[in-house]
Parts: sequence; C-alpha cells; structure tokens
Amino acid sequence: MDFFAESFGIALTLIRDLDVDMLQIVWVSVYTTTISVLLASMIGIPIGVAVGIGRFFGRRVLITLLNTLMAMPTVVIGLLVYGMLSRQGPLGDWGMLFSPAAIIIGQTVLAIPIVANYTMAAINGADKRIVPTVLTLGGGRRQAFWQLLLEVRFGVMAAVIAGFGRVIAEVGVAMMLGGNIRAYTRTMTTAIALDTSMGEFSFALALGIVLMTVALMVNLLLNLLQHR
Amino acid sequence: MSVNYLLKDIEVPQGNGFCLSIDNLELNSGKIYTLVGPNGAGKSTLLSTLALLTLPQRGEIFLNGRPVLMKKSRRRQGRRQITLVEQFPYLFDRSVYDNLVFGLGVRGIERTNAAVRIAAALESVGLAGFEQRGARQLSVGEVQRVALARALVLQPAVLLLDEPTSNIDAENLQVFEQLLCSLAAQDVTIVFSTHNTLPPRRLGAELISLRDGKIQRPSGAYTGYGETVTDNE
Repeated sequence: MDFFAESFGIALTLIRDLDVDMLQIVWVSVYTTTISVLLASMIGIPIGVAVGIGRFFGRRVLITLLNTLMAMPTVVIGLLVYGMLSRQGPLGDWGMLFSPAAIIIGQTVLAIPIVANYTMAAINGADKRIVPTVLTLGGGRRQAFWQLLLEVRFGVMAAVIAGFGRVIAEVGVAMMLGGNIRAYTRTMTTAIALDTSMGEFSFALALGIVLMTVALMVNLLLNLLQHR
Repeated sequence: MSVNYLLKDIEVPQGNGFCLSIDNLELNSGKIYTLVGPNGAGKSTLLSTLALLTLPQRGEIFLNGRPVLMKKSRRRQGRRQITLVEQFPYLFDRSVYDNLVFGLGVRGIERTNAAVRIAAALESVGLAGFEQRGARQLSVGEVQRVALARALVLQPAVLLLDEPTSNIDAENLQVFEQLLCSLAAQDVTIVFSTHNTLPPRRLGAELISLRDGKIQRPSGAYTGYGETVTDNE
C-alpha cells in the first residue's frame, strides 16, 4: 500500500511541476488524436448522414459492416495499416512507418466507424418533419440535408467526442505504427505500457491520471451533449 | 402573383391499401378552399401532394398550365410558390427569427428587407416582437402561429394549411379568419383542411369534401360552425 501511496504522491508532483517529458508525451497524444478525429469526422460524418438518410441497395450490409468495424481490435487495425505502410507494403515508399503520421492514419481508420455510427444514430433519431419543412420553405435536397445536420448538431458533436475518447485511450495502433519513439511517437498509452514494464511506476501513474482526467472530461462533455 | 393550379388523374398510393385518387381538381387564385372529411379521408395526403412533397404515382400537376412533376427543377420552382403549414409544424431548434429568415435566405432576400418582412409577418399572426424567442420555448399555439408567419413571410401564391385552427383559441380564430380573407384579397390561393367543423360562410370558401381518398361530388353546402361534415354529405 505504501508503494502505491508513494508512487501516487510522486505522480501528483510530476503533474504539478509540469514535467517536460510528461508534457511532451501528452502533446503527442493530443495532437495525433485531434488530427485523427478531425480527419475521421470529415469522412465519418458524411458516411453517417448518407447511411442514415439514404435508402440504397446494400445499406443493411453497410450498417452491419460499420457496427463490426466499431468493435475491431486496435491491434488488428494496427496490423492492417502496418502492412500497408511497411517497406514491402503498397505505401512503403512513403516512409511513414513509425512516425506520427502513421499513428494518425491508423487512428483515423479506428475513429471513422465510431463517428459514422453515432452520426447515423443521430440522423435516424431526428425529427422526420425536418426535410419536408425545408422543402416546403423552398429549399433543395442539399439544404435539407444540411439543415438536418444542424438540427442534430449535438448528436454529431457527441459522435466526434466519442471518437476522440476512443482514440486517445487506444494503445495498439500507436504502439504498432508509432513504434513508441521517445519525444516523437510516444503517446500517453504507449508510455504507460513501457514505463510500467521498466519499473517507472510513478511516471506511468502520472500519465494515467492525465489520461483519466482527459477521458473524464470527454465523457462529461459527451453526457452533456447527449442530454441536450 | 396569381396562380392556376390543376391536378389531373392523380393517384397517390400510401402503402397501407389507401390511395388518394383525384380525377380533376382546379384551384384558382384569390380563392379559399376548405378541405373537409373524416379521419383517414386523405386530407393531409392531398395537402402534401399539393405542396409537391408527396409525388403521385400517376397523373400530373399543372401550375399555370405547366406540368411540374417530371422535372426536379420545376418541382422546386413550384415549391417556392406553394407553402404548406403542417398541423404539428416543425420549428428549427433556433430563434423565431432564424426560422422565418430561412425561406427568405433560400430566395436570396437581403437581410434588411428580410427583417422588415419578418416583423410584419409576426405582427400579422399576433406575435410581434417574438423574433428572439427560442423555438423550444413556445407554446403549442405559438408554434403553429410562428409556422404560419414563416409561411406568410415568403408571400406564397398558394398557402396550404393542415388543420390550422386546431390549436387556436376563439379570440385568435377571428384574427386568423381576417388574415385568410386579406390574403385571398391579395390573390393568394388558400387551401385549409379541417377535421369536422365547417368554416363560417363569411370566409366565402369553396368546399372540397374528401372521403376514402376521393373527392365527393357534389360537395355539401354548409351553413356555419358546428355542423359536421357527415351532416352535409
């Protein structure tokens, strides 16, 4: 118990003193996650809207696929993107493996189905009168879809936040595609795994506390938006 | 803007065995038409068809002599002249002003002109000064009146109203009737549905009586409020 209490104390000191190594790791986590979620939103929101509104052949299959992808283990995504980016892979020439860009690609793939599914759920739950209202006011289909998206904006924001929460807490993609390189691709989750194995429990705990705080804030925001 | 509106051999199946079938229905500018009929007679379906929101499987709709169903652009042009106010209208989750400015924005009306038109439209439904109210803060009756103002601000050639009096109290009913008469005097074609009571003779409305998706001919004459449709058929 003493060990845990002592480590906890050191961890809090590291956070209070804004330890440079810790901040570097937090920064890598935050910026790779933010870019990934932005990219995933740019792809996932239109997919969610299209599947939510559209009535096309193969829609059911697409929904099942999106649901399956949502539950896809991060190491499997890491493995697939690794295959693409490794030297023998089709995108090997880009030399992106073990870089923040590789992490961003993997995490974008991870977040797309989450953002798409949540957006689709928001669209499905939207008031059915929105589109006819826009049309009778003289708007076209495109304006109707845009208006629909505005009306479910809190649901869409929840989708983006859910994606952020999933990505910042994942370890498989960041480890396999980033390589856990210090001050370059080391994220909070990969640093926690490494430091724990190296006996740097206090440092890992400090990062754990920061990660938990971020996750808590994300979930609070998600809760707030879902009750709008 | 005057308009001549013709529905010819329209069939609108609804999937539950119900089918709206209109052989011939002509609506002229500056007239008020009252759509009556029991529940499930097809009043809302007819209004939605007139609003070009529900497309018939057969037949054609002519607006000022031009068919509008075939081309998407013509349907959209048509919708800019025809506005439907639903029985339970949807207001966008923003301010009353934002709701009213939407249709004007679509038509490219500039902001200063829009603000003047919005103020006038709200005043005509007895909601002057409601611009900044949130749509979700309004009562059911106010929602219906804001929706009416949202339609009026667009100055449509055809105004379709689905059960517009269902949430209006006696005091506002008179204001509403006066509004309809003044709109008709400005050449606006008005079609409004009502469930089981008939409008007063002073509206000078023509009756369209629907039953089982078909127009009953001849439609019954009516004498005043309180008389049910079935009494007249």
